Order: sequence, then structure tokens, then C-alpha cells
Amino acid sequence: MSRILTIAHAEWRLWLRSRLAFGALLITALLLTSTSVVTALRMSEAHHARIHQQAVAEATFLSQPDRHPHRMVHYGHYVFRVPPPLSVIDPGVDSVTGQSMFLEGHRQNTAMFADARASAELGGFEDLTTALAYQLFLPLLLIAIGHGLIIREREETTLVPLLAQGVTGTELYAGKGIALVGLSLALLLPLAVMCAVAVGRGAAPLASAGVIGLYALYLLVWCSLILLVSSVARSRSLALGILALVWLGTALIIPRIGVESASSLIPVPGKIETDLNMQAELRAVGDGHNASAPEFRQLQADLLAQYDVTRVEDLPVNFRGVVARAAEADLTEVMNRHAEERMALEAGQARFAASFGWLSPVLAVAAGSRALSGTDLATHHRFLREAEVVRFDFVQGLNRVHVEQLAYGDDINRNIDAEASKRTRMSAENWNVLDEFTFRPAAATERLARASTPAAMLFAWLLMLAAIGALAARRVQP
Amino acid sequence: MTGSFRELRFLAKDRAALLWLGIAVLVAGLSVFLGLREVAAQRTVLNELIEVDRAERDVLRGLHQDWGDVAYYTFHLTHDSPSDFAFAALGQRDTSPWKHHIRALALEGQIYETDAENPDFALIGRFDFAFAASMLAPLLLILLLHDLRSRERAAGRYELLGATAASRGSPWFVRAVLRVGALTLCLLVPLWAAGLLVGTGAAKLALASLVVALHIGFWWGFCAFVDRFGWSSPVNLTALIGAWLALAVVVPAAIESSVETAVPVPEGGEVMLTQREAVNDAWDLPKSATMEPFVERHPEWADYTQVGQSFEWKWYYAFQQVGDQIVEPLSRAYREGRIRRDRLAGTLAWLAPPALSTRALQAIAGTSMADSLAYEQRVRDFHAALRGYYYPRLFRDEVVSDASLGQRPEFPVVGK
Repeated sequence: MSRILTIAHAEWRLWLRSRLAFGALLITALLLTSTSVVTALRMSEAHHARIHQQAVAEATFLSQPDRHPHRMVHYGHYVFRVPPPLSVIDPGVDSVTGQSMFLEGHRQNTAMFADARASAELGGFEDLTTALAYQLFLPLLLIAIGHGLIIREREETTLVPLLAQGVTGTELYAGKGIALVGLSLALLLPLAVMCAVAVGRGAAPLASAGVIGLYALYLLVWCSLILLVSSVARSRSLALGILALVWLGTALIIPRIGVESASSLIPVPGKIETDLNMQAELRAVGDGHNASAPEFRQLQADLLAQYDVTRVEDLPVNFRGVVARAAEADLTEVMNRHAEERMALEAGQARFAASFGWLSPVLAVAAGSRALSGTDLATHHRFLREAEVVRFDFVQGLNRVHVEQLAYGDDINRNIDAEASKRTRMSAENWNVLDEFTFRPAAATERLARASTPAAMLFAWLLMLAAIGALAARRVQP
Repeated sequence: MTGSFRELRFLAKDRAALLWLGIAVLVAGLSVFLGLREVAAQRTVLNELIEVDRAERDVLRGLHQDWGDVAYYTFHLTHDSPSDFAFAALGQRDTSPWKHHIRALALEGQIYETDAENPDFALIGRFDFAFAASMLAPLLLILLLHDLRSRERAAGRYELLGATAASRGSPWFVRAVLRVGALTLCLLVPLWAAGLLVGTGAAKLALASLVVALHIGFWWGFCAFVDRFGWSSPVNLTALIGAWLALAVVVPAAIESSVETAVPVPEGGEVMLTQREAVNDAWDLPKSATMEPFVERHPEWADYTQVGQSFEWKWYYAFQQVGDQIVEPLSRAYREGRIRRDRLAGTLAWLAPPALSTRALQAIAGTSMADSLAYEQRVRDFHAALRGYYYPRLFRDEVVSDASLGQRPEFPVVGK
């Protein structure tokens, strides 16, 4: 054991003395730290801004004057997707999906104002985040420093004396491995600090520990790969070439191939397409603004029978409100069905693309990291669903006011003159049908469960590379 | 000449070099293939949508007897068809809308809707030719060139080669030219093939080829510069990949955050909120509060501003327009902010050749931020035309007729 540690120690000393290794280390540490700080500042600013915007939106809604309740249905409300605490590490889809959504009656809007639309185009890597720096660029440093771990001893003919002193191949392999793993763990420090910061801001400790564990696992995969290549390659150049190729493939090419295949194999109709295809179904529901439309005759007959009257004017409830409420419920049923279909397809696409994680640990760690941070597609879908619940609740709350408090006679005569119009204005106290909304990602255990497949992918990679490595270690010969 | 042939033979036997060149062909071929598929899919979607949209308007025809209802219920599809070179650089088409479904209500409430695709995809990015040529090609070139001299040095042949060559630099130069040329061809031949297949304009292809060649030329120069220090191959490669990391990632990231700091853009949500308040407040305000600002913009309807009843369609559409007018300064600031950000990023991109190359290819493909904003402007123009069509009919209280509906403007299709 002490021999293994001596080998690791010697390697660390060498890195500190080598200007190249030391320089690369320093630059990487700097890059990781500055990226972490920038990402954290940006996301915590967004966090505060959106909490504030949400509060303003709620206050604005509640402070609306007395009005016809249906006007408030169209006045609508805004919800904001507040980034979860762990987004300071991995903002995930935050910048490419809209952060706010306008909620109104009879419509499901899309989330608007994705940051990506107002940001400059600079080739695709300009949105550098802590997560991306760890996923894509830390492996490059490990490759640069570690590719020569074993092959160097052979090229510099120090391998023969080493082995002659009784060091076994496995010991050499383990020592070098510890050296590289030790470095990787040290480089996880900025990430661990950010996780601690996130926990301080309310992130679930379990999920935060999961993030650190996931990235540690990921770096272990790279360490074992680098070690393996370094022990089997015939020259340092070849080792470096092979590792560069693997990085190119797993970091830049395979993830995008995954995206392209998912998008062409599982087509998802766009929003406009869905809306247009939905039109016929929506027309069958009828226009809730028009209580005399033929679609609502049955409703009218049922209601008249229920209250045993012959004219809608004699109903104890406002028939126009009843129609609005029924139409909203039916419309929502249709819209939700289509929205769920679309989300299921999108989730299918994401799952398919993520299955390329078996081929690329980079893709696996990215998916796991987003899931744990609560910034993945599933979380965005959760936001859409929660927003829809808010929308439906306040619209139906207003419709209830319309049904129960607004007299039918006043309602149909509202356009006659200003006085008549005034009679249809309901007290602003009714606007408290709006619930407070704070978006929170799923519970930590659920996120851990979502991250388990990517973690399993990484684990499979690690197991495979370690097993081959153990075999290769025994065959380390001069 | 014999020297060149000899070097060509060397290249043909250099397995590592062939591997990198093979990857280049594969990457370029795959990227244009996927790009072509994507553009074909977008065209199919657009064609279907155009059909459905027209059918939908036909269904509505005759359903409403009032111009107010007609304008309220009729949507119009606007779209930005991909150009004949869009397959090479999908650019903003991933995150910015290239189709909108709009009607004659306040435009500011509609124009920011995004019919975006799976956000996971926008996050990871597309595999298009622009990515292959701007991001991957430099790495492949680095792998091809990093050990030109250092390998011979390591093999102890360096001085001999230098001494026997006609001039000091010549064997290295020929060797490099062959590799650089081969890589450039490996990238461009698939592009040209795809261009021929879909009939891309020759000028666009030539310009794109020039961009690719210049970008590769830059990296060649950079490799040659690093090679002069006489480091070993692994040190060369590490330094060059570090440089790639700096120019492809770190500098663009720094440019992006400085552009965002230097050019503030109003919160998009702010535009929407202001617009909503303006439109909704109008219901409770005296009619004149709407009609006066409306007439300022449209003096031709000054004689038609009396609103007798508590609800009239012309007043409804007037306050939709006034809502847009009120938010105009904010909306313009949002638009101009994005334009200024894009321009500044364009200037600063000269510091990061991979970013510059991406932007150049997107500009040729008509998928740049500027193109996206130009499409937004076309939507605005079309919306103005719709208003121009409905206003006379609403204000003069005309009868809805098939003949009149036939005159309704259609979204113009712009060839690119």
C-alpha cells in the first residue's frame, strides 16, 4: 500500500514541478472558479428577480378595480418559473425555455422570453456554466495531464528499473490511478463549495450530495479511461490522439447525434400545428361567450329541468356564467389532452436522446446533473402543469363569481348604458380566487430517482473500464 | 514536384492522419445529411401548416357576420421558410420562432410567443455543418498538424530532413499544405454535394467555402506558430487544445457576458405586462381616452370616433392598437437592444475565430439573429397590413362579403 502511495505522491510532485501541468491546472482551477461565480451570480439574480416579478404580478391582479368577472378572465395573470437553488450549478433548460407564462381564459399560452432569444450568437459554447465546464472541459485537463501516466515511464525507460525494484504492474497502475483520482477530487472543490452555497439557500442536501457524487463518478470514468489508454498505447502521442478522439466523440459528436436522431425519429408537432389541429375539437365545445350557441342547448335544458323553470331568466344562477364555466372545463379538457400528448412526446424524445448516454458518459452526466438540479425537461413540464392548474383555478373561480353573484338580467343588458354596465361590476374582493404561486422542483428523492438511469450508465462505464484496467495492469511490462 | 508526390505518399500511409481525415469526411457528411433532413422536415411542416391554416380560414368564411368577429377569430400563419443554404447552418431557427399564428389584436401580446422545439435539444445543440466546420474542424486540424515537426524531432530525423531539403522550410510546408488542403476538401466536398443536390446558389457555396478555408487557414497559422517553439508532440497538442478551448469557449463566453452587460435589454416580460395593462385599462376608461391617441396615428378615421354603445368593435380594435402604441418605446428598446447586442457580438467575434465562422455561415444561410429580427419585422408589417384592411371595414361598418374577404392580405412569401 505504501508503495502505491509513494507512486501517487511522486506523480503529484512531478505535476507541481512541470510547468505545463502546473499551468494547465492553474488555468483550469481559475476557469472553474470564475465560471462557478458567474453562473451562481446570474442564477441567484434571476431567482430574486422572478420571485419579485411573481409577487408584483399577484399584487397587480389583486389590486384590480371592480369589474365584470369575465373581464378578469381575460385580464389574466402571470406565473414565473423561479430557478431552483441548485440551478447555480446547472441552469439546465432555464435559458432556452421561457421563464414566464401568461395565463388567461380559453387559451394555454407558451412560456415566453427565453434568454437565448436576447443573447448573442457566438458559436454555441458561449453559455458557459459550471455544469458545462465540469462536463466538457475538465476531462480535457485530465487528458492533458494524465495521458502519459504510464506510457511516460515506458518512453523514458524508467519502467524497467521500477518493475525491477519489485513494484508490480497493478501497484503501478493503482498508484498512478490514485494520483489522477486525487487531482480530480481536488478539482471538485469549487463544485462542492457551490453545492454548499445552494444548500444554504434551501437546496435539498440529498440532491446536492447527489450532484457531487454524480460528478465524482463521472470524473472517475474519465480517470479510468485515461489510465487504461496510457497503459496500452504504444506512444504518448498515440495515447493523446486516442483520448482526444474519445473526447471529441463523447463530448461533441454523440450528444448531438442523439438529439438529431431523437428529433427525426420522434417528431413532435409544434404548438401552432397542435393548435390548428385542435380547432375542430374546440369548435365542437362551443364558444363560451355565446350562451345561445347550439352547443349549450342541452346544458340549458338540463339546468331548466333541474330548477324546474321554463326561462333562463328565472334560473337562480347566471346562465351565461354557467356556460362560461362549462365551456372552460370542456376546452381545458381538450387542451390538456393535447398538451399531455405533446409533453409525452417531448419526454420520449428526451429519453431517446438520453439513451445515447450508454455511448457517451458526457451525455449521461449532463442528463443526471439537470435532473438532480431540477432544471431538466421534466421540471419544465412540471412548471407547465402547475401553471395550468393555477390558470384553470382562477378562471373557474371567476366563473363561479359570474354564476353565483352576477344577476343574469344585469348581465345581458350590460351594454345598454353606463349604469347597466356598472351593475355588472363585481367587487374586487372576489379577485382573491387567485392562489399564490411559487414554483418548486420535485422532491429530492424523485429527482434522485430520475438521475438513477444516468448514474447507472456512468457506473456501467466505470465498471467496464476498471475491469479492463485491472487486466491491463497485470500486463504492464517494459 | 517529386517532393510533393513523396509527401502525398507519406500522407496516404500515415494511419493517424487518415483517421482524422476520415473523421472529417464523416462529420461533414453527417452534418449536411442531418441538416438536409431537418430543413426538409421544416419545409414539410410549413407546407402542411399553410394548408391547414388556409382550410381553417375557409371554415370561418361565412361563419361571422360582423367584421369585429371576423377579425377576432381569424388567425393568419406567418412563416420564415428556410433558405437553400439553411441546411448548413440552422442557427437561430432552434431557439427563435420561424412561424407565428397572428390575428388583428394587439401585436405585442402575440409576437413573443415561441413555437419552440424540445428545450433539451436547444441546450445540447444541433449537429449542423456550421458546428462541424467552426468547432470540430479546428480540433481535427490540430490533431493533424501538432506533430509535424515534433514527430521528426523525436525520431531524430529533423536536422537531416532540414539539411537535405531544397530550402529550410520546404518539406514542412509541403507536408502542412497537403494536410490542410486534404482537411479542407474533406469538409467542403460533402457541402458542395449537398448544395448541388438542393440547388444552393453558387455564390453562397463559394462564400461559405471561403469562410471555411479562411477559418482553417487561421488555425493552420496558429499551429505553425506553436510548432516553432520546438516542444514535444504532447506539449504541442496540449497547448493547441488549450488554445481551442480559449477561442471556442472561454473568449465567446466572456464576449457574451460583456455584451450583455454593455447593452442592457429591457426584460421581455416588461413589454408584455405593460401591454396587457394598457389594453385592459382601456375597458374602464372613457372612450375618448382610446379614440384620441388612435386618431393621432390614424387621422383618416377622425370623423368616425363616436362610440355610441358601451361596446363597439371599432373601439375594441382601437384600444388594441393603442395598447401597442403605449408599449412601443419599450418594445422598440427590446428590439433595438437585441440588434445592438448582435452587432456588438459580431464585432467582438473577431477575437474568437470559431464564433466568427459560425456567425458568417449563419449569415450566408439566412439563419442569423439579424434574419430572425428581419422576420419579426415582416410579421409586424403584415400585421399592419391586416389592420389597414380591417379598419375601413370596421369604421364604416361595412357588410361582410366574400368579395371583401377575398381582398384580405396574405402573408407574403419571401425568397431567400
